[in-house]
Amino acid sequence: MAETEAHLLVGVNAPDPKPAYRRRRDECPVLRTGEGGSAVISRYEDVLWALRHPEVFSSDSEAVSIGNERPLIPLQIDPPEHVKYRKLLDPVFSRKRMAILEPQVRRLAAERIEAFADRGVCDFHGELAEPLPSTVFLQLLGLPLERLPYFLELKDGIIRPEASATPVSRETTGRKIYALFEEALDARSAEPGEDLLSWMSEEEVDGRKLTREQILDICYLLLLAGLDTVTASLDCFVAYLAQHPERRRMAIERPEMLDGVIEELLRSETPVVTVLRVLKQDVTLSSVELKAGERVALLLGAADSDERSFDDPERVDFGRRPNRHLAFGGGPHRCLGSHLARMELRAVLEEFHARIPEYELAPGVQLQYSPGIRQVSELPLVWSARA
Amino acid sequence: MKVQVLSEVCTGHGRCYMLAPEVFGEDDRGHCQVLAPEVPSEHESQARIGAEACPEQAIEIEE
Ligand code: HEM
Ligand code: SF4
Repeated sequence: MAETEAHLLVGVNAPDPKPAYRRRRDECPVLRTGEGGSAVISRYEDVLWALRHPEVFSSDSEAVSIGNERPLIPLQIDPPEHVKYRKLLDPVFSRKRMAILEPQVRRLAAERIEAFADRGVCDFHGELAEPLPSTVFLQLLGLPLERLPYFLELKDGIIRPEASATPVSRETTGRKIYALFEEALDARSAEPGEDLLSWMSEEEVDGRKLTREQILDICYLLLLAGLDTVTASLDCFVAYLAQHPERRRMAIERPEMLDGVIEELLRSETPVVTVLRVLKQDVTLSSVELKAGERVALLLGAADSDERSFDDPERVDFGRRPNRHLAFGGGPHRCLGSHLARMELRAVLEEFHARIPEYELAPGVQLQYSPGIRQVSELPLVWSARA
Repeated sequence: MKVQVLSEVCTGHGRCYMLAPEVFGEDDRGHCQVLAPEVPSEHESQARIGAEACPEQAIEIEE
């Protein structure tokens, strides 16, 4: 890579990546990172176009590989086949269905927060943001919550096998995960209820239903797509609110604004920074020619702070209009779990602020954001505890 | 004012019916359903807010 481009690679994982995003958009909206690397796309219009043209920018298993044998449904299926699955899955994850689950999610969040509210300190990441989405997921699948430690171990074994204490192959972990889902599915089919697995088993469109194998595959993708993403969003949001007390007070005093707060923090933090594609046809974006077969990364974070598409994008404005952010992607692969994610974020913020309205970062901490999905692996907060 | 949703463009972000619940509703898939194509004047500004929030630009407004 040319030396002049080296400065473009710096800073995208910083606590505030916006200056780095801006340099890329302005100086190199399609950045090739050398041999074997992907071309990184960073302007809003280009990213949106790519998301909306899956026949050119495909997300099939060539674009993303994570050791799975069959394609992940629906992510690694291209249209037109893709829509058949989304027709079956969208109703299961609709806002209406998520509203049914909300009281359970609130209760789980409240229990965790109660456990540390009187203490005056917590590690927000380790004690809430990290375990909560997995707890919710177990609950939604109807698995006993005592399985949480086992489940967390399996999840990390798949997502970060290199970091695990006892290294086992992805295949072994994958089999254990499938076994756990099988167990849940057996229990649900014996006794269907108001939960994700029962809904997935029952949903029928044009005489089609999901097969057992497909439901298992989908659960597997939910584990990859629906846990760390929520963790990262909670980390990013609370890190921001801890450091901006006047903004936090405004959000708490005006509860009717909360949806706007969440959408604006989704935009300004864009916790899922990139999505991956592989080109099926030659195409030109921002005057750069891209060739079929090239791998591409769409930099959602840079798109969401593009001043070509947002007024004063570096300002956090809870009343922003319009706010067409791409934090959940766009086009046919738009996040299936967006309504679940929004509900979880709302439930956690409300339950947390109801008990702990005033808090700040523990003195002296330097936050570290992980690349790709912006988790903050240590997020110590302090507040004055109730006597 | 008239509103119309291009159903082949809508992917169900749900921004429209979150922001403009008097004008837009949702079908079973969470895709946008226009509640009344002729928007009563008291809901016009809500309709605009909902339409401009759509990341797919799936909503058309005719004034
Ligand atoms: C705030 C939290 C979340 C964020 C920021 C987020 C972000 C995203 C993004 C950017 C995509 C597009 C991927 C692509 O185009 O390649 C996506 C897809 C997806 N997300 Fe989420 N997500 C979140 C939560 C969830 C949850 C809770 C679930 C679980 C139900 C979930 C399930 C999925 C699935 C299944 C897809 C693939 C959809 C398809 O290919 O049709 N996500 N998500
Ligand atoms: S915001 Fe746009 S894409 Fe989302 S449901 Fe409404 S019309 Fe459809």
